Amino acid sequence: MTEVDNAQLGIPADAMRRLAEMRPGQATSLFTSDLSVNEFLLVREAGFRPVGLVLGSSIYHVGFQMGRWNRNQELTTLSQAMYHARELAMTRMEAEADQLGADGIVGVRLEIEFKEFGSDLAEFIAVGTAVIADESSTPEGQSWRNNRGLPFTSDLSGQDFWTLIQAGYAPLGMVMGTCVYHVAHQRFWQAMGNIGQNVELPQFTEALYDARELAMSRMQAEAEQLKAEGIVGVELRSHGHRWGGHTTEFFAIGTAVRPLRADHHIPAPQLVLPLTD
Amino acid sequence: MTDWNGVGLPPVADQRVRRAAAGGPWTSLLSAPAAAGLRVAGLAPVGEVMGSIVQQISLMGVSCGSYLPGGGQWLSTSRGVGPYLDALNRGYATALDRLTQEATAIGADGVVGITLATEPLAGATEFTALGTAVRARGTQRAGRMFTTALSGQDVAKLMTSGWMPVRLVYGVSVAIRHDDWQTRRQASWGAGNTEIAGYTQLVNHTRADARVRLAKRVRATGADGTIVSSMGLRMWSVEPSDNHRDHVAQASVFGTAIARFATTGPAPAARPLTFLPLQHRSTS
Repeated sequence: MTEVDNAQLGIPADAMRRLAEMRPGQATSLFTSDLSVNEFLLVREAGFRPVGLVLGSSIYHVGFQMGRWNRNQELTTLSQAMYHARELAMTRMEAEADQLGADGIVGVRLEIEFKEFGSDLAEFIAVGTAVIADESSTPEGQSWRNNRGLPFTSDLSGQDFWTLIQAGYAPLGMVMGTCVYHVAHQRFWQAMGNIGQNVELPQFTEALYDARELAMSRMQAEAEQLKAEGIVGVELRSHGHRWGGHTTEFFAIGTAVRPLRADHHIPAPQLVLPLTD
Repeated sequence: MTDWNGVGLPPVADQRVRRAAAGGPWTSLLSAPAAAGLRVAGLAPVGEVMGSIVQQISLMGVSCGSYLPGGGQWLSTSRGVGPYLDALNRGYATALDRLTQEATAIGADGVVGITLATEPLAGATEFTALGTAVRARGTQRAGRMFTTALSGQDVAKLMTSGWMPVRLVYGVSVAIRHDDWQTRRQASWGAGNTEIAGYTQLVNHTRADARVRLAKRVRATGADGTIVSSMGLRMWSVEPSDNHRDHVAQASVFGTAIARFATTGPAPAARPLTFLPLQHRSTS
């Protein structure tokens, strides 16, 4: 322990010297990042420099849709709203990153917040950290931007991003699909017949299958547009939002990736047994 | 209890600092991993420090007309909401300043793991800053106090990678926007799917302004960058007069300004190591 300490005594002294030498207000290329310290250091290690926190936001009025209560169906007005509002937020975030001359955006968070002061009002927010690749980490003749000429986007954490780059893949863009679905209420005679029995409700099962399938296939279509090899880190979420028990949003989101090189070998990880909870 | 005029530290805090400066056992808010991390980075804890201020603070005297030149056009944040914003800034600044005073008095070089909080208190608001003062081992002194919201582990990781936390920075902004006919139409029940341009403008403007204020503070320290730790936005409606609603947005960004330094010693660079924990970890 003492040996390690002596070797590192350079660190506090050097750090203190830096503080002592600091000139307030000097022109520096200042960056802000939304990353945690772990993520910040790993993104640097992967050969990227954070250039700025980027953000896009939209406050959206989600329309109202009457549906037939006894039929399984997609509520297209709501699907469109959820999709369009997210798209607005994402596009604004991408525009900020584009202005910074970024190669990509990492650690993107996509959040929805329904506001108290209006019944159908929600804020859609996209936040991430714009990064620029060091020259040494950019393969010759290649760009990190995607086929639309925009910075790549990724909702992967800094840790996942580092691992992805190590394994020879590059993120292309966040892809998403959404479907707001109304699951039919049971018919009266049907509900009566099922009282007290453990039975599958086939129309419920089918409705959930249909809704998830719609969300996932829309996400896949986005990935195909980006000419991706695959999608990693897919999350399939269902949100009730404020529409009551029978109406649910199914939301699929992931990061479309392309290969950087042919072999995708990473060093075999060491096994560790953490002594913490 | 003596009467205190608000200059310097309150008498009890002053006495506590004197006791701490005189020696004896130190206190800290550090977790065990944080303490171990700081040790690796060459920092030693010297004591727990805090700063606090209670202020009466509210959005007073909001009336529609005065903020709305050009009828529903964008309005500057400097009028009307100005005193409220000043009070917020004064709250955070004073709490941090009193914390720094305590740390200086006990011979610290910096304060780590600062939590900055506001708490309602009988119609007023208390701003508190609470952290652990640390001192660098060795003879080199910084001449200025560094402050950070980052934990001991994070400070250690940064320092062993050649980055130094410089100062806890924040940006706060408040803006108010008149609900014009278009806003009301877009937010109405029958409007269908539509973006409410006025509200989007309000939140974007407020957030952007908070970020600009943060960047200004970072630039003033001379640091190289910032690690943002939290970002918040609150939006609510006010009724300055009958049958008339406006919306107020308050945005805040908190983070730590960091600066790059070159190590002269044989400091081991922290390199990431891939490993697989042999532990069940619940996915959330």
